[in-house]
Amino acid sequence: METAAPSLLELQRALRASLVVHDDSGISAHVVDAGMSPAERLDVYRNTFASVLTTALRLSYPAAHRLVGAEFFEGAARIFIEAHPPKSACLDDYGEKFAEFLSDFEPAASLAYLPEVARLEWAVNRALHASDVEPLDPRRLAALAEAERARVGFVPHPSVSLLRVDHPADLIWRAALEEDDDALSAIDPGAGPAWLLVQRLATGVEVRRMGESAWRITAALFAGRPLAAALDEAPDTEASALLADHLAAGRFIDFSLNETSA
Amino acid sequence: MIPPTLPKRSGRNPIPAQAGVGLRFRHHQEVLEARPAAAWFEVHTENYMGGGGAPAALEAIRRDYPISLHGTGLSLGSAEGLDPAHLARVRELVERTEPGLVSEHLSFSVAGGNYLADLLPLPMTEEALEIVCRNVAQVQDHLKHRILVENPSTYLQFRHSTIPEWEFLARVTRHAGCGILCDVNNIYVSASNHGWRASTYLAALPPEAVGEIHLAGHSLRQLDDARTLRIDDHGSRVAPEVWALYAEALALFGPVPTLIEWDTNVPPMMVLLEEAAHAAALIDEAESGNGRALAA
Repeated sequence: METAAPSLLELQRALRASLVVHDDSGISAHVVDAGMSPAERLDVYRNTFASVLTTALRLSYPAAHRLVGAEFFEGAARIFIEAHPPKSACLDDYGEKFAEFLSDFEPAASLAYLPEVARLEWAVNRALHASDVEPLDPRRLAALAEAERARVGFVPHPSVSLLRVDHPADLIWRAALEEDDDALSAIDPGAGPAWLLVQRLATGVEVRRMGESAWRITAALFAGRPLAAALDEAPDTEASALLADHLAAGRFIDFSLNETSA
Repeated sequence: MIPPTLPKRSGRNPIPAQAGVGLRFRHHQEVLEARPAAAWFEVHTENYMGGGGAPAALEAIRRDYPISLHGTGLSLGSAEGLDPAHLARVRELVERTEPGLVSEHLSFSVAGGNYLADLLPLPMTEEALEIVCRNVAQVQDHLKHRILVENPSTYLQFRHSTIPEWEFLARVTRHAGCGILCDVNNIYVSASNHGWRASTYLAALPPEAVGEIHLAGHSLRQLDDARTLRIDDHGSRVAPEVWALYAEALALFGPVPTLIEWDTNVPPMMVLLEEAAHAAALIDEAESGNGRALAA
């Protein structure tokens, strides 16, 4: 039977369906089958699609990979890839929704900390590849009048992020990366929440724990809330030490002045 | 003598007609510390977007070596057009890196807004030709840089194709004003998979358009019934048959910048330099051969 030639757009959408959801119905009839079936030929591309993206996920989520093992990780990755094929040709951007996927992934339900470790790994991945931006020069802040300074709303550095986790995901993450099974088995997954700050430094990405109140103030500052209002919740000495630390560590790149200081 | 005026962004470090090496992350440190004797390096454009360690290493390396940017994500064959966000990121990297050469592929990798993580084959039709030419022109306009378009390895052909791939590539060059990145290994692989004559392919390419040659290893997959399929996996040394085809290419095109690519199980830099030395010897032979031809 003669099949009408598809337009390029139709053909490309059909090949997409073949690779992503393994539906060859729109493409098989258009593939030359000399010596090899269309399905065998399409398998070559399907294999590359799946293996390239699985590798990309493994590189972004090395601790999760270590925690569940290669076979489980690859199985989960295949299901994730089918549901969330990449939108960007830059694979450093791929896998943002993997933590969310794992939290709904029934076979991983017994590892309650796994999605949080994955969430931390995504923050680390973002920190690794964030744009290089000069930090805010603290002298710009010093040059403001006091009333203006109260209205300052900061812009955080793109490599910096904050996470609150219910489990000690940072300890689990570190032990998994160091392949330290003794440290891993010594961690109590129920050891309560942690407040984390992730940042790229010249030496690599740092994940540090913060106190809850310092973390909350920092979250308000990163959200651009007026400086006076954000610092209001802490004693003066703690607030000014925290602000000095953020400025010295280059965690802001800019600021604007809010309408009010409240 | 008055030096010729180069157009803006033509490359602060032009790529010499010598053998270079594909630079991968595992060799960054060694290149920065030991300065191996490679004539030039080529990197994958999509691996150096954004900030952090990899772009910083490239920034340091490009001070000492000519750099070529080789992309895999622009999807020159996409009927739905180019992704403007991706094109903008490529431009940013081109401006930052000042590469001697910029290249992409005769394929598509984006459909329905998804990146399909491979260089997918196009039907060789008049419609596809028009779309590729339009996209190449848009890329060159936007980057303000001529690009080279590389022939892909393919594992399937479409029934409604009407133009041989070699003719398609030559026509893209003519209509869009781009150059050709002639991947000799890909020609060997595709010719073997589809029963084409590799020499016919080479002879159909306009020599003056060929701005670079790629060499890489491929593997042989054994199917049942004694059938075989060659897979372009960039995971081994260049095959003897591909070296022979490379010598043929040099005889047709003259000395051309040539790259050793290796992406799977990347070996020590020493192995890549050995492969590059082999290519360099063949370039020298071609040069002296041309010299003899001119003298005769």
